[in-house]
Amino acid sequence: MSPGTAPGRPPESGAGACRACIAHSLLLASLGGVLDRCSGDRGRFLDLLALEGEALIAAIGGRRSQELHRQLRDMLSGELPVAADARSLCRHDPRYPAALHEPNAPRMLYLTCGPARLQLLTTAPVVAIAGAGRCSDYGAEVSRSLARGLAAAGVTVAAGLGDRLSRAAHEGVLEAQGASIAVATCGSDRAFSARSRVLLAGVRLRGCVLSELPRDYPSRRWTVQAAHRVLGELAGVLVVVEAQESPRDLALCGVARARGRTVAAVPGRVTSPLSAGSHRLLLDGASLVRGPGDVLELLSAASGSDAGAGCDRAGPGAAGRALPPDRLDRRLRSVLEAVGAGDGTPEEVSRGGVSAGQALLALSELELLGMVVRGAGGRYLPRL
Amino acid sequence: MLARAHAFTVDGLHARHVMVEVDVRPGLPGFAIVGLADAAVREARERVRAAILNSGFEFPARRITANLAPADLPKAGPGLDLALACALLAATGQIAGEGLQSHALLGELGLDGAVRRGGSTLAVADAARRAGLRGLVVSPPGAHEAGLIEGLHVAAASSLRSAARVLNGGAGDPVPASAALERTGTAEPALEEVRGQHHAVRALVIAAAGAHNVMLSGPPGTGKTMLALRMPSILPPLSTAEAVEVTRIHSLGGARVVGLRSRRPFRAPHHTVTAAGLVGGARGGVLGEAVLAHNGVLFLDEISEFARSAIQALRQPLEEGRIAIARARYAAVYPARFILIAATNPCPCGYAGGERCTCSESELARQRRRLSGPLLERIDLVAHMREPGTAGADAPPLSSSALAREQVAAARERQASRLAREPESLNGHLGPSALARHLLAEPRAEEMVRHAAEAGLLSARGAHRVMRVARTIADLGASERVRTQDVGAALALRPEAALA
Repeated sequence: MSPGTAPGRPPESGAGACRACIAHSLLLASLGGVLDRCSGDRGRFLDLLALEGEALIAAIGGRRSQELHRQLRDMLSGELPVAADARSLCRHDPRYPAALHEPNAPRMLYLTCGPARLQLLTTAPVVAIAGAGRCSDYGAEVSRSLARGLAAAGVTVAAGLGDRLSRAAHEGVLEAQGASIAVATCGSDRAFSARSRVLLAGVRLRGCVLSELPRDYPSRRWTVQAAHRVLGELAGVLVVVEAQESPRDLALCGVARARGRTVAAVPGRVTSPLSAGSHRLLLDGASLVRGPGDVLELLSAASGSDAGAGCDRAGPGAAGRALPPDRLDRRLRSVLEAVGAGDGTPEEVSRGGVSAGQALLALSELELLGMVVRGAGGRYLPRL
Repeated sequence: MLARAHAFTVDGLHARHVMVEVDVRPGLPGFAIVGLADAAVREARERVRAAILNSGFEFPARRITANLAPADLPKAGPGLDLALACALLAATGQIAGEGLQSHALLGELGLDGAVRRGGSTLAVADAARRAGLRGLVVSPPGAHEAGLIEGLHVAAASSLRSAARVLNGGAGDPVPASAALERTGTAEPALEEVRGQHHAVRALVIAAAGAHNVMLSGPPGTGKTMLALRMPSILPPLSTAEAVEVTRIHSLGGARVVGLRSRRPFRAPHHTVTAAGLVGGARGGVLGEAVLAHNGVLFLDEISEFARSAIQALRQPLEEGRIAIARARYAAVYPARFILIAATNPCPCGYAGGERCTCSESELARQRRRLSGPLLERIDLVAHMREPGTAGADAPPLSSSALAREQVAAARERQASRLAREPESLNGHLGPSALARHLLAEPRAEEMVRHAAEAGLLSARGAHRVMRVARTIADLGASERVRTQDVGAALALRPEAALA
């Protein structure tokens, strides 16, 4: 028998979640198709998620209402198909993250670690890094270096898991030996693509993968938006690294704004469609982020003077860098400047009067110094 | 009466000696050929009978048995016609038998007694010389080809009558004057036509100098194919031994041989090619593209579109420089040592990693997966090409073919003198231990590679490849030792980490 208890009553310590909350998460799972259809209307969809079991069935149950009512009753009184375990918690649990106490917050969180670790991670300031589903090498590099710097300063970085930008953020955290929170769009046990499996193992080792859905639930259209709302509420500051100017990419910012979170954005080139969304956010009053330092400033501004306690502010921008640029000799500095200005291919570097052989040598030296990285297509990018 | 004649049957690239024995004795008139003859050889009966009669000789109304020894070697093709006819004439005393002892015969007979080419003359002539025969009787066009083999008396015979005259000690027919030897022609695409793209041109020169396999990566329309087509023009001309080998391969492939090939082969199979198409199929079948590219260049455009099996089939030639084919009842080894040029888009749209890239993540992952794998482990350097833009169209060419060829030849000479005591003479073919012996790197250069490996930029194999390319760059720069700038350039040209 599961350790589930009567609805509404907080569970005993260490014993996971209450029966009503588990039943609710299972109800959501069985309503997947309807929720997918409803998720087109973003504003109403989040209100929908705030509904309690019976009201939810009444709202969208349709022809299956009867059957769903019966299912819900069975789950509340009889055997639960999913046993609550020590790695899940419901919102009645005292260890449930305080930031998520909103009406439409998930009732259940399924984790890959004990709730104590999540509690620890969420007592530190949380910064979410998000952006476009598709990003450039620049976006991935910025995301990685931001995450690295923030993790080194003791901030908990939260991000999705499905897209490259989020993965870059987790990679950055792991580079700094930090712990991150990954908000999954499917059940937390369902391994993501082969690409992210290794990364996921790293995240699980020190951080946490969380999902509001039962462990083996697949990713669906509606779960993407549901994960956005978790991410947007969990974090004190949301940093958008690269986003297109589309409702899809900016939906997350809407959630964070509505909850009074600070939204910040990393600028790109004005000609880049992948940065158009970030620029729109900046125009609308989002804070500008150039590096981890700017985010730390925002954190302390966002939650009073004592916020950011436990944050190590020592030179986050210099993390992982061997030499500051002003210590470089002139030859390397001019090449670094060219790369920073977007002239990242050897061909473009040597257009500035450097011979072809010298350009290749300088780029390799800078790469060995960790100041540039070679992206796809042989284009070098500056590391932040 | 019994008579013997020397002949050859072609098996793979090699001609094998066949002794044609003809026995004529009283009995029910008939003509039987034994000794694993294929359909073309069995049909020789009709050709030989008509040719003998139409040449004014007498065809005996007796029992004729022809044996092709060794009996367990399958014989193919019509090239044995002439030997059969001459042995029959000798067995019936219509020609003297002495010439048959010292001459090999090759040719297909027409019904009127005309002698045709009948197979790869070059391979047969080479085998005849090795077999210690003094001469070879072939058709006049074939006499040209056979004449490329030194130390063999080649006699042309345009008809069965002329062949009989040669075997009786007479002179052969005149060999028709052929077109001039095929030369590195004026029509060959030249490097000076490539404007801009200096880094890709430079990578090509490095690849040519060290026989490195190279990948050209870039969006469509940046001139990847244009560049690859110019690779043969910067390679040194074939040496005589290489030329004989290449000519032999191509004469087997059915090309008309008018002289030794001096141009390096350039083969560019379409990406729908099968594994058998690349390495060659069954007996007597068409030679594979990889074999035809021997001593030259194999260009695989859109490498990510090639079938996995076709790419896998290239592993052996890339590692060993030869192809061993084993089919149900047939095995052969072909030489196949070539420089591989692979061309690809970095991603389906061509702008991978940039702001203009419109590929989804799964598309990028699929492309990466297709580009990784066993073949690409053999790629030493990658040249990333970008759209030249408006500036590129007026950019001066980096080098001319003649100049680049000189540089390549000089670099190859340096390698050859350094590697004089190794079986390989080019950096691209060196294994790890041979490379370590002949690297001669400055301490700082070695440290640079070590540093890169520690920083996670290079795998062990990747470090080895970077060293190999750096050695070639140093050779191009006429430097005894590998310097930091050589390693720096090699690092910037290294394949992606996914390929390392």
